[in-house]
Amino acid sequence: MEYEEESNSLEMKESSLDITHEGAARPPSGTNSALLKSYTYATSLPTALEKDQECILGVDEAGRGPVLGPMVYGICYCPLAKKDELADLGFADSKTLKEDERDNLLEVIMSRPDLIGWSVRVLSPMDISNSMLRKEKYNLNALAHDTTIQLIRETLASGVNLREVYVDTVGPPETYQAKLERIFPSITKIVVAKKADSKYPIVSAASICAKVTRDDVLRHWVFAESGIEENVSREFGSGYPSDPKTVKWLKKNMDPIFGYPNIVRFSWGTCKTLLETSGKPVRWEDDDEGPKQPRINAMLSQSNESDLAQQKRQYSTFTTKSAPRPRPQLMQDMSLKNVVEF
Amino acid sequence: MLEARLQTGALLKKLLEAIKELITDANFDCSDNGIALQAMDNSHVALVALLLRHDGFEPYRCDRSLALGVNLVSLSKVLRCAGNDDIITLKADDTADVLSLTFENTDNDRISEYELKLMDIDSEHLGIPDTQYDAVVQMSSAEFLRICRDLQVLSDSVQIDVTKEGVKFAAKGELGSGAVTLKQSGNVDKEDDSTLIELQQDVSLNFSLKYLVNFTKATPLSTRVSLSMSSEVPLLVEYKMEAGYIRYYLAPKIGEDN
Repeated sequence: MEYEEESNSLEMKESSLDITHEGAARPPSGTNSALLKSYTYATSLPTALEKDQECILGVDEAGRGPVLGPMVYGICYCPLAKKDELADLGFADSKTLKEDERDNLLEVIMSRPDLIGWSVRVLSPMDISNSMLRKEKYNLNALAHDTTIQLIRETLASGVNLREVYVDTVGPPETYQAKLERIFPSITKIVVAKKADSKYPIVSAASICAKVTRDDVLRHWVFAESGIEENVSREFGSGYPSDPKTVKWLKKNMDPIFGYPNIVRFSWGTCKTLLETSGKPVRWEDDDEGPKQPRINAMLSQSNESDLAQQKRQYSTFTTKSAPRPRPQLMQDMSLKNVVEF
Repeated sequence: MLEARLQTGALLKKLLEAIKELITDANFDCSDNGIALQAMDNSHVALVALLLRHDGFEPYRCDRSLALGVNLVSLSKVLRCAGNDDIITLKADDTADVLSLTFENTDNDRISEYELKLMDIDSEHLGIPDTQYDAVVQMSSAEFLRICRDLQVLSDSVQIDVTKEGVKFAAKGELGSGAVTLKQSGNVDKEDDSTLIELQQDVSLNFSLKYLVNFTKATPLSTRVSLSMSSEVPLLVEYKMEAGYIRYYLAPKIGEDN
Protein backbone atom coordinates (compact mmCIF):
# COMPACT_ATOMS: atom_id res chain seq x y z
CA MET A 1 0.00 0.00 0.00
CA GLU A 2 2.87 2.33 0.76
CA TYR A 3 3.94 2.22 -2.85
CA GLU A 4 0.81 3.61 -4.34
CA GLU A 5 2.09 7.15 -4.47
CA GLU A 6 5.34 6.18 -6.01
CA SER A 7 4.09 3.77 -8.65
CA ASN A 8 1.78 6.20 -10.34
CA SER A 9 2.17 4.56 -13.69
CA LEU A 10 0.75 1.16 -14.50
CA GLU A 11 -1.68 -1.01 -12.66
CA MET A 12 0.25 -3.94 -13.96
CA LYS A 13 3.28 -2.75 -12.12
CA GLU A 14 1.35 -2.42 -8.91
CA SER A 15 -0.03 -5.91 -9.01
CA SER A 16 3.38 -7.28 -9.82
CA LEU A 17 4.62 -5.45 -6.76
CA ASP A 18 2.06 -7.23 -4.66
CA ILE A 19 3.21 -10.52 -6.01
CA THR A 20 6.74 -9.69 -5.08
CA HIS A 21 5.54 -8.84 -1.60
CA GLU A 22 3.50 -11.87 -0.84
CA GLY A 23 5.32 -14.25 -3.12
CA ALA A 24 8.90 -13.19 -2.62
CA ALA A 25 10.97 -15.56 -0.57
CA ARG A 26 11.61 -14.17 2.87
CA PRO A 27 15.24 -13.51 3.73
CA PRO A 28 16.82 -16.27 5.80
CA SER A 29 17.77 -13.69 8.41
CA GLY A 30 14.18 -13.01 9.52
CA THR A 31 12.46 -14.78 12.37
CA ASN A 32 9.23 -16.65 12.82
CA SER A 33 9.02 -16.33 16.52
CA ALA A 34 8.45 -13.38 18.81
CA LEU A 35 11.53 -11.17 18.91
CA LEU A 36 12.35 -10.66 22.55
CA LYS A 37 16.05 -11.41 22.61
CA SER A 38 18.44 -10.00 20.07
CA TYR A 39 19.98 -12.57 17.75
CA THR A 40 22.63 -12.93 15.05
CA TYR A 41 22.19 -14.60 11.70
CA ALA A 42 25.29 -15.47 9.70
CA THR A 43 25.74 -17.18 6.35
CA SER A 44 28.41 -19.77 5.91
CA LEU A 45 31.70 -18.67 4.38
CA PRO A 46 31.70 -17.96 0.65
CA THR A 47 32.33 -21.27 -1.09
CA ALA A 48 35.05 -19.90 -3.36
CA LEU A 49 36.92 -18.30 -0.48
CA GLU A 50 40.44 -19.63 -0.30
CA LYS A 51 42.21 -20.06 2.97
CA ASP A 52 43.68 -16.77 4.21
CA GLN A 53 42.44 -14.96 1.17
CA GLU A 54 42.26 -11.24 1.93
CA CYS A 55 38.76 -9.84 2.27
CA ILE A 56 36.94 -6.54 2.55
CA LEU A 57 34.00 -6.00 4.84
CA GLY A 58 31.27 -3.36 5.05
CA VAL A 59 29.09 -2.48 8.03
CA ASP A 60 25.80 -0.63 8.01
CA GLU A 61 22.72 -0.34 10.11
CA ALA A 62 19.01 -0.16 9.48
CA GLY A 63 16.30 1.08 11.77
CA ARG A 64 18.22 3.32 14.10
CA GLY A 65 15.66 6.11 14.14
CA PRO A 66 12.30 4.31 14.23
CA VAL A 67 10.31 4.01 17.40
CA LEU A 68 9.03 0.60 16.31
CA GLY A 69 10.70 -2.68 15.59
CA PRO A 70 14.25 -3.91 15.69
CA MET A 71 17.49 -2.17 14.87
CA VAL A 72 19.56 -4.30 12.55
CA TYR A 73 23.31 -4.26 11.97
CA GLY A 74 24.52 -5.90 8.81
CA ILE A 75 27.95 -6.84 7.61
CA CYS A 76 28.88 -8.10 4.20
CA TYR A 77 32.24 -9.33 2.99
CA CYS A 78 33.95 -10.67 -0.12
CA PRO A 79 37.49 -11.33 -1.31
CA LEU A 80 39.46 -8.13 -1.88
CA ALA A 81 40.39 -9.35 -5.35
CA LYS A 82 36.73 -9.64 -6.34
CA LYS A 83 35.90 -6.10 -5.26
CA ASP A 84 35.14 -4.94 -8.79
CA GLU A 85 32.85 -7.86 -9.42
CA LEU A 86 30.80 -6.69 -6.46
CA ALA A 87 30.57 -3.16 -7.80
CA ASP A 88 29.25 -4.55 -11.06
CA LEU A 89 26.32 -6.15 -9.26
CA GLY A 90 25.01 -2.60 -8.77
CA PHE A 91 24.66 -1.68 -5.15
CA ALA A 92 23.53 1.68 -3.95
CA ASP A 93 22.40 3.11 -0.66
CA SER A 94 19.49 1.03 0.59
CA LYS A 95 17.53 4.08 1.69
CA THR A 96 17.30 5.39 -1.84
CA LEU A 97 16.03 2.08 -3.18
CA LYS A 98 12.46 0.93 -3.22
CA GLU A 99 11.55 -2.10 -1.21
CA ASP A 100 11.24 -4.45 -4.18
CA GLU A 101 14.59 -3.31 -5.57
CA ARG A 102 16.18 -3.98 -2.22
CA ASP A 103 14.59 -7.42 -2.02
CA ASN A 104 15.96 -8.10 -5.45
CA LEU A 105 19.42 -6.97 -4.46
CA LEU A 106 19.40 -9.29 -1.47
CA GLU A 107 18.54 -12.05 -3.92
CA VAL A 108 21.53 -10.94 -5.99
CA ILE A 109 23.72 -11.19 -2.90
CA MET A 110 22.28 -14.58 -2.09
CA SER A 111 22.81 -15.77 -5.64
CA ARG A 112 26.55 -15.48 -5.13
CA PRO A 113 27.28 -17.66 -2.10
CA ASP A 114 30.61 -18.37 -3.76
CA LEU A 115 31.57 -14.72 -3.52
CA ILE A 116 29.73 -13.00 -0.69
CA GLY A 117 29.27 -13.80 2.97
CA TRP A 118 27.09 -11.73 5.29
CA SER A 119 25.54 -11.64 8.69
CA VAL A 120 23.13 -9.49 10.60
CA ARG A 121 22.53 -8.84 14.24
CA VAL A 122 18.90 -8.09 15.04
CA LEU A 123 18.50 -6.04 18.21
CA SER A 124 15.07 -6.42 19.70
CA PRO A 125 13.14 -3.27 20.67
CA MET A 126 13.04 -4.61 24.21
CA ASP A 127 16.83 -4.91 24.37
CA ILE A 128 17.21 -1.41 22.94
CA SER A 129 14.79 0.09 25.48
CA ASN A 130 16.33 -1.84 28.33
CA SER A 131 19.80 -0.64 27.41
CA MET A 132 18.77 2.96 27.10
CA LEU A 133 16.58 3.01 30.18
CA ARG A 134 18.75 1.16 32.60
CA LYS A 135 20.26 2.94 35.56
CA GLU A 136 23.69 3.30 34.02
CA LYS A 137 22.63 4.58 30.63
CA TYR A 138 23.92 2.73 27.62
CA ASN A 139 23.28 4.95 24.67
CA LEU A 140 22.49 4.07 21.14
CA ASN A 141 25.99 4.93 19.88
CA ALA A 142 27.63 2.64 22.41
CA LEU A 143 25.17 -0.07 21.45
CA ALA A 144 25.99 0.53 17.77
CA HIS A 145 29.73 0.32 18.39
CA ASP A 146 29.51 -2.82 20.48
CA THR A 147 27.27 -4.55 17.96
CA THR A 148 29.60 -3.68 15.10
CA ILE A 149 32.60 -4.87 17.05
CA GLN A 150 30.84 -8.10 17.90
CA LEU A 151 29.95 -8.78 14.25
CA ILE A 152 33.52 -8.11 13.07
CA ARG A 153 34.91 -10.31 15.85
CA GLU A 154 32.63 -13.16 14.93
CA THR A 155 33.62 -12.85 11.27
CA LEU A 156 37.30 -12.95 12.18
CA ALA A 157 36.62 -15.91 14.45
CA SER A 158 34.98 -17.81 11.60
CA GLY A 159 38.31 -17.66 9.80
CA VAL A 160 37.90 -14.73 7.42
CA ASN A 161 41.09 -12.79 6.83
CA LEU A 162 39.92 -9.17 6.89
CA ARG A 163 42.16 -6.58 5.24
CA GLU A 164 39.83 -3.66 4.81
CA VAL A 165 36.75 -2.66 6.81
CA TYR A 166 34.33 0.09 5.82
CA VAL A 167 31.87 1.34 8.40
CA ASP A 168 28.96 3.71 8.06
CA THR A 169 28.56 5.95 11.06
CA VAL A 170 26.13 8.40 12.54
CA GLY A 171 28.40 9.83 15.24
CA PRO A 172 31.81 11.46 14.71
CA PRO A 173 33.84 9.15 12.42
CA GLU A 174 37.34 10.00 13.76
CA THR A 175 36.99 8.72 17.32
CA TYR A 176 35.03 5.70 16.17
CA GLN A 177 37.70 4.83 13.60
CA ALA A 178 40.44 5.19 16.22
CA LYS A 179 38.50 2.92 18.54
CA LEU A 180 38.12 0.22 15.89
CA GLU A 181 41.79 0.49 14.90
CA ARG A 182 42.74 -0.06 18.51
CA ILE A 183 40.50 -3.09 18.85
CA PHE A 184 41.38 -4.68 15.52
CA PRO A 185 45.11 -4.05 14.97
CA SER A 186 45.27 -6.93 12.48
CA ILE A 187 43.03 -5.14 10.00
CA THR A 188 45.21 -2.98 7.76
CA LYS A 189 42.64 -0.47 6.65
CA ILE A 190 39.65 0.71 8.63
CA VAL A 191 37.49 3.45 7.17
CA VAL A 192 34.69 4.98 9.18
CA ALA A 193 32.72 7.51 7.19
CA LYS A 194 29.40 9.20 7.05
CA LYS A 195 27.21 7.97 4.19
CA ALA A 196 29.66 5.15 3.57
CA ASP A 197 26.81 3.18 2.04
CA SER A 198 26.76 5.47 -0.98
CA LYS A 199 30.55 5.49 -1.35
CA TYR A 200 31.49 1.84 -0.94
CA PRO A 201 29.58 -0.97 -2.66
CA ILE A 202 30.43 -3.39 0.17
CA VAL A 203 28.79 -1.09 2.72
CA SER A 204 25.86 -0.70 0.40
CA ALA A 205 25.54 -4.48 0.25
CA ALA A 206 25.68 -4.63 4.05
CA SER A 207 22.97 -1.99 4.23
CA ILE A 208 20.78 -4.12 1.95
CA CYS A 209 21.20 -7.11 4.28
CA ALA A 210 20.29 -4.99 7.28
CA LYS A 211 17.39 -3.15 5.73
CA VAL A 212 15.76 -6.20 4.14
CA THR A 213 16.06 -8.06 7.42
CA ARG A 214 14.52 -5.22 9.39
CA ASP A 215 11.65 -4.81 6.93
CA ASP A 216 10.99 -8.54 7.04
CA VAL A 217 11.01 -8.74 10.84
CA LEU A 218 8.68 -5.76 11.09
CA ARG A 219 6.32 -7.03 8.40
CA HIS A 220 6.11 -10.49 9.96
CA TRP A 221 6.22 -9.22 13.53
CA VAL A 222 5.03 -11.84 16.01
CA PHE A 223 3.56 -10.30 19.13
CA ALA A 224 4.87 -12.00 22.25
CA GLU A 225 1.93 -10.66 24.23
CA SER A 226 -0.92 -13.10 24.12
CA GLY A 227 -4.28 -12.04 22.82
CA ILE A 228 -3.27 -8.84 21.10
CA GLU A 229 -2.57 -10.15 17.62
CA GLU A 230 -6.23 -9.57 16.70
CA ASN A 231 -6.58 -6.22 18.45
CA VAL A 232 -3.44 -4.42 17.39
CA SER A 233 -3.27 -3.00 13.92
CA ARG A 234 -0.28 -3.73 11.73
CA GLU A 235 -0.38 -0.35 10.03
CA PHE A 236 2.96 0.58 11.55
CA GLY A 237 4.00 2.91 8.77
CA SER A 238 7.75 3.28 8.40
CA GLY A 239 8.26 3.22 12.16
CA TYR A 240 9.87 6.67 12.10
CA PRO A 241 8.42 9.08 14.68
CA SER A 242 8.02 11.61 11.88
CA ASP A 243 5.73 9.31 9.90
CA PRO A 244 2.08 10.27 10.51
CA LYS A 245 1.08 6.62 10.05
CA THR A 246 3.41 5.57 12.83
CA VAL A 247 2.18 8.34 15.09
CA LYS A 248 -1.39 7.26 14.40
CA TRP A 249 -0.49 3.69 15.28
CA LEU A 250 1.15 4.79 18.52
CA LYS A 251 -1.88 6.83 19.50
CA LYS A 252 -4.38 4.11 18.65
CA ASN A 253 -2.65 1.14 20.14
CA MET A 254 -1.70 2.35 23.57
CA ASP A 255 -3.19 0.69 26.59
CA PRO A 256 -3.58 3.38 29.25
CA ILE A 257 -2.19 1.08 31.90
CA PHE A 258 0.11 -1.38 30.16
CA GLY A 259 1.40 0.97 27.48
CA TYR A 260 2.67 -0.73 24.36
CA PRO A 261 3.56 -4.23 23.27
CA ASN A 262 7.22 -5.08 22.96
CA ILE A 263 7.47 -3.93 19.35
CA VAL A 264 7.81 -0.38 20.64
CA ARG A 265 11.02 1.16 21.92
CA PHE A 266 9.90 2.63 25.19
CA SER A 267 13.05 4.70 25.45
CA TRP A 268 12.05 6.92 22.52
CA GLY A 269 10.93 10.44 23.39
CA THR A 270 7.79 10.13 21.25
CA CYS A 271 6.73 7.12 23.23
CA LYS A 272 7.57 8.64 26.61
CA THR A 273 5.56 11.78 25.83
CA LEU A 274 2.55 9.78 24.68
CA LEU A 275 2.65 7.55 27.75
CA GLU A 276 2.91 10.56 30.01
CA THR A 277 0.11 12.49 28.37
CA SER A 278 -2.36 9.75 27.46
CA GLY A 279 -1.51 6.97 29.88
CA LYS A 280 -2.63 6.66 33.46
CA PRO A 281 -0.24 8.35 35.84
CA VAL A 282 1.70 6.17 38.23
CA ARG A 283 2.68 7.40 41.63
CA TRP A 284 5.77 5.75 43.03
CA GLU A 285 5.70 6.19 46.75
CA ASP A 286 9.45 5.87 47.01
CA ASP A 287 9.93 8.78 44.62
CA ASP A 288 8.20 11.23 46.91
CA GLU A 289 10.77 13.73 47.93
CA GLY A 290 11.58 14.88 51.39
CA PRO A 291 11.31 13.15 54.69
CA LYS A 292 9.47 9.86 54.80
CA GLN A 293 6.08 9.62 56.40
CA PRO A 294 5.94 6.39 58.39
CA ARG A 295 2.72 4.54 58.93
CA ILE A 296 0.98 4.93 62.24
CA ASN A 297 0.38 1.19 62.56
CA ALA A 298 4.11 0.60 62.32
CA MET A 299 4.56 2.71 65.43
CA LEU A 300 1.67 1.45 67.48
CA SER A 301 1.38 -2.19 68.40
CA GLN A 302 -1.30 -4.03 66.50
CA SER A 303 -2.86 -5.19 69.74
CA ASN A 304 -1.78 -6.41 73.12
CA GLU A 305 -1.64 -10.05 72.12
CA SER A 306 1.57 -11.99 72.49
CA ASP A 307 3.50 -12.76 69.32
CA LEU A 308 2.53 -16.40 69.60
CA ALA A 309 -1.14 -15.60 69.73
CA GLN A 310 -0.75 -13.29 66.77
CA GLN A 311 1.05 -15.92 64.78
CA LYS A 312 -1.57 -18.47 65.60
CA ARG A 313 -4.22 -16.10 64.45
CA GLN A 314 -2.36 -15.29 61.30
CA TYR A 315 -1.94 -18.88 60.26
CA SER A 316 -5.30 -20.08 61.39
CA THR A 317 -7.57 -20.97 58.51
CA PHE A 318 -10.60 -20.45 60.64
CA THR A 319 -11.81 -16.95 60.99
CA THR A 320 -13.98 -16.01 63.84
CA LYS A 321 -16.02 -12.92 64.32
CA SER A 322 -14.16 -11.78 67.38
CA ALA A 323 -10.70 -12.13 65.87
CA PRO A 324 -10.76 -11.47 62.15
CA ARG A 325 -7.71 -12.53 60.22
CA PRO A 326 -5.38 -9.61 59.61
CA ARG A 327 -5.55 -8.28 56.12
CA PRO A 328 -2.60 -9.16 53.91
CA GLN A 329 0.16 -6.56 54.09
CA LEU A 330 -0.20 -5.63 50.44
CA MET A 331 -3.90 -4.94 50.89
CA GLN A 332 -3.11 -2.77 53.89
CA ASP A 333 -0.34 -0.93 52.16
CA MET A 334 -2.34 -0.16 49.07
CA SER A 335 -5.47 0.57 51.10
CA LEU A 336 -7.35 -2.05 49.12
CA LYS A 337 -10.76 -3.10 50.26
CA ASN A 338 -12.89 -6.13 49.65
CA VAL A 339 -15.62 -5.28 47.22
CA VAL A 340 -17.04 -8.80 47.11
CA GLU A 341 -17.63 -11.08 50.05
CA PHE A 342 -16.44 -14.63 49.50
CA MET B 1 -29.60 -2.32 72.42
CA LEU B 2 -28.32 1.21 72.27
CA GLU B 3 -30.23 4.32 73.12
CA ALA B 4 -28.36 7.56 73.49
CA ARG B 5 -29.92 10.99 73.68
CA LEU B 6 -27.70 13.95 73.12
CA GLN B 7 -28.96 17.34 74.29
CA THR B 8 -26.63 19.32 72.06
CA GLY B 9 -26.92 17.71 68.69
CA ALA B 10 -24.43 20.17 67.26
CA LEU B 11 -21.71 18.24 69.04
CA LEU B 12 -22.31 15.18 66.90
CA LYS B 13 -22.38 17.29 63.76
CA LYS B 14 -19.05 18.87 64.66
CA LEU B 15 -17.54 15.49 65.51
CA LEU B 16 -18.44 14.14 62.12
CA GLU B 17 -16.96 17.19 60.41
CA ALA B 18 -13.80 16.54 62.39
CA ILE B 19 -13.28 12.98 61.17
CA LYS B 20 -15.05 12.50 57.87
CA GLU B 21 -12.19 13.86 55.79
CA LEU B 22 -9.76 11.38 57.27
CA ILE B 23 -11.91 8.31 57.52
CA THR B 24 -14.61 6.99 55.25
CA ASP B 25 -15.90 4.00 57.19
CA ALA B 26 -15.61 3.20 60.87
CA ASN B 27 -17.14 1.25 63.68
CA PHE B 28 -18.79 3.08 66.54
CA ASP B 29 -18.04 0.83 69.48
CA CYS B 30 -20.84 1.25 71.95
CA SER B 31 -20.58 -0.03 75.49
CA ASP B 32 -21.92 0.97 78.86
CA ASN B 33 -18.98 3.33 79.09
CA GLY B 34 -20.06 5.35 76.10
CA ILE B 35 -19.49 5.52 72.37
CA ALA B 36 -15.96 5.18 71.06
CA LEU B 37 -14.38 5.11 67.65
CA GLN B 38 -10.88 4.24 66.55
CA ALA B 39 -9.76 4.22 62.95
CA MET B 40 -6.79 4.85 60.75
CA ASP B 41 -7.05 7.07 57.73
CA ASN B 42 -6.97 5.39 54.32
CA SER B 43 -3.24 5.70 53.90
CA HIS B 44 -2.59 4.37 57.40
CA VAL B 45 -0.62 7.42 58.41
CA ALA B 46 -2.91 8.89 61.03
CA LEU B 47 -5.11 7.42 63.70
CA VAL B 48 -8.27 8.95 65.11
CA ALA B 49 -9.64 7.92 68.49
CA LEU B 50 -12.72 9.54 69.89
CA LEU B 51 -14.82 8.96 72.94
CA LEU B 52 -18.22 10.26 73.94
CA ARG B 53 -18.64 9.20 77.56
CA HIS B 54 -22.03 7.93 78.73
CA ASP B 55 -22.48 10.94 81.00
CA GLY B 56 -22.57 13.20 77.99
CA PHE B 57 -25.91 11.65 77.06
CA GLU B 58 -29.18 11.92 78.89
CA PRO B 59 -30.26 9.19 79.05
CA TYR B 60 -27.67 6.63 77.89
CA ARG B 61 -28.40 2.96 77.69
CA CYS B 62 -26.31 0.20 76.20
CA ASP B 63 -26.93 -3.30 77.55
CA ARG B 64 -24.52 -5.16 75.36
CA SER B 65 -21.47 -3.94 73.55
CA LEU B 66 -22.22 -3.16 69.93
CA ALA B 67 -20.09 -2.27 66.95
CA LEU B 68 -21.99 -0.07 64.54
CA GLY B 69 -20.27 0.05 61.17
CA VAL B 70 -21.05 3.37 59.57
CA ASN B 71 -20.14 5.13 56.39
CA LEU B 72 -19.12 8.48 57.78
CA VAL B 73 -19.93 10.46 54.66
CA SER B 74 -23.49 9.12 54.73
CA LEU B 75 -23.80 9.79 58.44
CA SER B 76 -22.57 13.34 58.02
CA LYS B 77 -25.13 13.87 55.23
CA VAL B 78 -27.92 12.67 57.49
CA LEU B 79 -26.65 14.85 60.34
CA ARG B 80 -26.81 17.86 58.10
CA CYS B 81 -30.58 17.42 58.25
CA ALA B 82 -30.47 18.13 61.96
CA GLY B 83 -30.69 21.67 63.26
CA ASN B 84 -27.87 22.95 65.41
CA ASP B 85 -30.07 23.11 68.50
CA ASP B 86 -31.81 19.81 67.89
CA ILE B 87 -31.71 17.02 70.41
CA ILE B 88 -30.35 13.92 68.72
CA THR B 89 -31.24 10.41 69.78
CA LEU B 90 -29.29 7.44 68.45
CA LYS B 91 -30.85 3.99 68.56
CA ALA B 92 -29.79 0.56 67.42
CA ASP B 93 -31.02 -2.92 68.22
CA ASP B 94 -28.51 -5.61 69.08
CA THR B 95 -29.18 -7.41 65.83
CA ALA B 96 -30.17 -4.39 63.81
CA ASP B 97 -28.65 -3.52 60.51
CA VAL B 98 -29.65 0.12 60.79
CA LEU B 99 -28.86 3.02 63.05
CA SER B 100 -31.88 5.19 63.74
CA LEU B 101 -31.50 8.85 64.39
CA THR B 102 -34.17 11.12 65.76
CA PHE B 103 -33.89 14.90 65.65
CA GLU B 104 -36.19 16.97 67.89
CA ASN B 105 -36.18 20.73 67.77
CA THR B 106 -36.13 22.80 70.97
CA ASP B 107 -39.84 23.65 70.75
CA ASN B 108 -40.50 19.96 70.51
CA ASP B 109 -42.88 20.50 67.59
CA ARG B 110 -40.75 19.02 64.84
CA ILE B 111 -39.46 15.49 64.95
CA SER B 112 -37.51 13.96 62.11
CA GLU B 113 -36.43 10.35 61.97
CA TYR B 114 -33.77 8.80 59.80
CA GLU B 115 -32.39 5.33 59.44
CA LEU B 116 -28.91 4.72 58.22
CA LYS B 117 -27.88 1.32 56.89
CA LEU B 118 -25.02 -0.24 58.80
CA MET B 119 -22.14 -2.10 57.29
CA ASP B 120 -19.63 -4.74 58.31
CA ILE B 121 -16.30 -3.06 58.70
CA ASP B 122 -13.14 -5.02 58.96
CA SER B 123 -10.98 -2.87 61.16
CA GLU B 124 -7.64 -3.21 62.83
CA HIS B 125 -7.60 -2.15 66.40
CA LEU B 126 -4.33 -0.60 67.44
CA GLY B 127 -3.12 -0.65 70.99
CA ILE B 128 -2.09 2.83 72.08
CA PRO B 129 0.47 2.64 74.85
CA ASP B 130 0.38 5.11 77.72
CA THR B 131 3.29 7.35 76.96
CA GLN B 132 5.08 9.80 79.18
CA TYR B 133 5.61 12.51 76.57
CA ASP B 134 8.75 14.66 76.48
CA ALA B 135 6.75 17.76 75.72
CA VAL B 136 3.10 18.68 76.11
CA VAL B 137 1.96 21.98 74.66
CA GLN B 138 -1.46 23.33 75.53
CA MET B 139 -2.60 26.17 73.39
CA SER B 140 -5.52 27.88 71.75
CA SER B 141 -7.09 25.63 69.14
CA ALA B 142 -7.83 28.61 66.89
CA GLU B 143 -4.16 29.64 67.06
CA PHE B 144 -3.07 26.12 66.14
CA LEU B 145 -5.44 26.16 63.18
CA ARG B 146 -4.10 29.49 62.00
CA ILE B 147 -0.47 28.42 62.27
CA CYS B 148 -1.06 25.22 60.33
CA ARG B 149 -2.94 27.02 57.57
CA ASP B 150 -0.37 29.82 57.36
CA LEU B 151 2.60 27.49 57.12
CA GLN B 152 0.91 25.23 54.61
CA VAL B 153 1.44 28.02 52.11
CA LEU B 154 5.17 27.35 52.32
CA SER B 155 5.62 23.64 52.70
CA ASP B 156 3.91 20.33 53.25
CA SER B 157 5.74 19.74 56.47
CA VAL B 158 6.33 21.65 59.64
CA GLN B 159 9.14 21.42 62.12
CA ILE B 160 7.93 21.74 65.71
CA ASP B 161 10.57 22.67 68.28
CA VAL B 162 9.62 22.81 71.92
CA THR B 163 11.88 24.33 74.54
CA LYS B 164 11.05 25.75 77.93
CA GLU B 165 10.81 29.23 76.39
CA GLY B 166 8.18 28.34 73.91
CA VAL B 167 7.10 26.37 70.90
CA LYS B 168 8.26 27.14 67.39
CA PHE B 169 6.54 26.01 64.22
CA ALA B 170 8.76 26.36 61.18
CA ALA B 171 8.28 25.54 57.51
CA LYS B 172 10.67 25.74 54.61
CA GLY B 173 9.73 25.38 50.99
CA GLU B 174 10.53 26.42 47.46
CA LEU B 175 9.20 29.93 47.80
CA GLY B 176 10.80 30.64 51.13
CA SER B 177 10.52 29.91 54.78
CA GLY B 178 8.47 30.96 57.75
CA ALA B 179 8.19 30.38 61.46
CA VAL B 180 5.74 31.13 64.23
CA THR B 181 6.91 31.12 67.84
CA LEU B 182 4.54 31.09 70.77
CA LYS B 183 6.04 31.97 74.09
CA GLN B 184 5.05 30.21 77.23
CA SER B 185 2.67 32.66 78.85
CA GLY B 186 0.94 32.90 82.15
CA ASN B 187 -1.76 35.11 80.78
CA VAL B 188 -4.39 34.47 83.39
CA ASP B 189 -6.85 36.99 82.00
CA LYS B 190 -7.13 35.25 78.67
CA GLU B 191 -6.88 31.65 79.69
CA ASP B 192 -8.12 30.38 76.36
CA ASP B 193 -5.28 32.04 74.46
CA SER B 194 -2.41 31.12 76.75
CA THR B 195 0.30 28.69 75.77
CA LEU B 196 1.40 26.25 78.45
CA ILE B 197 4.32 23.90 78.14
CA GLU B 198 5.16 20.87 80.25
CA LEU B 199 8.63 19.78 79.32
CA GLN B 200 10.75 16.79 80.27
CA GLN B 201 13.11 17.26 77.39
CA ASP B 202 13.39 19.52 74.34
CA VAL B 203 11.87 18.04 71.23
CA SER B 204 12.28 18.81 67.56
CA LEU B 205 10.03 16.90 65.21
CA ASN B 206 8.77 17.09 61.65
CA PHE B 207 5.13 16.53 60.72
CA SER B 208 2.96 16.52 57.65
CA LEU B 209 1.01 19.76 57.49
CA LYS B 210 -1.68 18.19 55.37
CA TYR B 211 -2.57 15.92 58.26
CA LEU B 212 -2.31 18.62 60.90
CA VAL B 213 -4.63 20.86 58.91
CA ASN B 214 -6.99 17.93 58.70
CA PHE B 215 -6.87 17.52 62.49
CA THR B 216 -7.79 21.18 62.97
CA LYS B 217 -11.23 20.35 61.58
CA ALA B 218 -11.92 19.55 65.25
CA THR B 219 -11.34 23.17 66.28
CA PRO B 220 -15.07 23.93 66.78
CA LEU B 221 -15.18 21.19 69.41
CA SER B 222 -12.84 22.89 71.86
CA THR B 223 -11.14 26.22 72.42
CA ARG B 224 -8.01 24.39 73.55
CA VAL B 225 -5.80 21.82 71.95
CA SER B 226 -2.90 19.88 73.37
CA LEU B 227 0.07 18.60 71.39
CA SER B 228 2.00 15.79 73.06
CA MET B 229 5.34 14.87 71.59
CA SER B 230 8.29 12.55 72.06
CA SER B 231 10.78 11.55 69.45
CA GLU B 232 9.98 8.31 67.63
CA VAL B 233 6.49 8.28 69.06
CA PRO B 234 3.37 9.46 67.26
CA LEU B 235 2.31 13.00 67.98
CA LEU B 236 -0.93 13.20 69.94
CA VAL B 237 -3.23 16.08 69.11
CA GLU B 238 -6.09 16.15 71.54
CA TYR B 239 -9.27 18.20 71.68
CA LYS B 240 -11.10 17.72 74.98
CA MET B 241 -14.83 18.01 75.17
CA GLU B 242 -17.13 18.18 78.17
CA ALA B 243 -17.74 14.46 78.18
CA GLY B 244 -15.14 12.97 76.00
CA TYR B 245 -12.31 13.72 73.61
CA ILE B 246 -11.09 13.43 70.09
CA ARG B 247 -7.48 12.37 69.67
CA TYR B 248 -5.42 12.29 66.53
CA TYR B 249 -2.14 10.44 66.26
CA LEU B 250 0.43 11.13 63.59
CA ALA B 251 3.83 9.59 63.12
CA PRO B 252 6.67 12.14 62.78
CA LYS B 253 8.38 12.22 59.40
CA ILE B 254 11.81 10.66 59.47
CA GLY B 255 15.11 11.47 57.81
CA GLU B 256 16.25 14.58 55.99
CA ASP B 257 15.25 17.01 58.72
CA ASN B 258 15.95 20.57 57.79
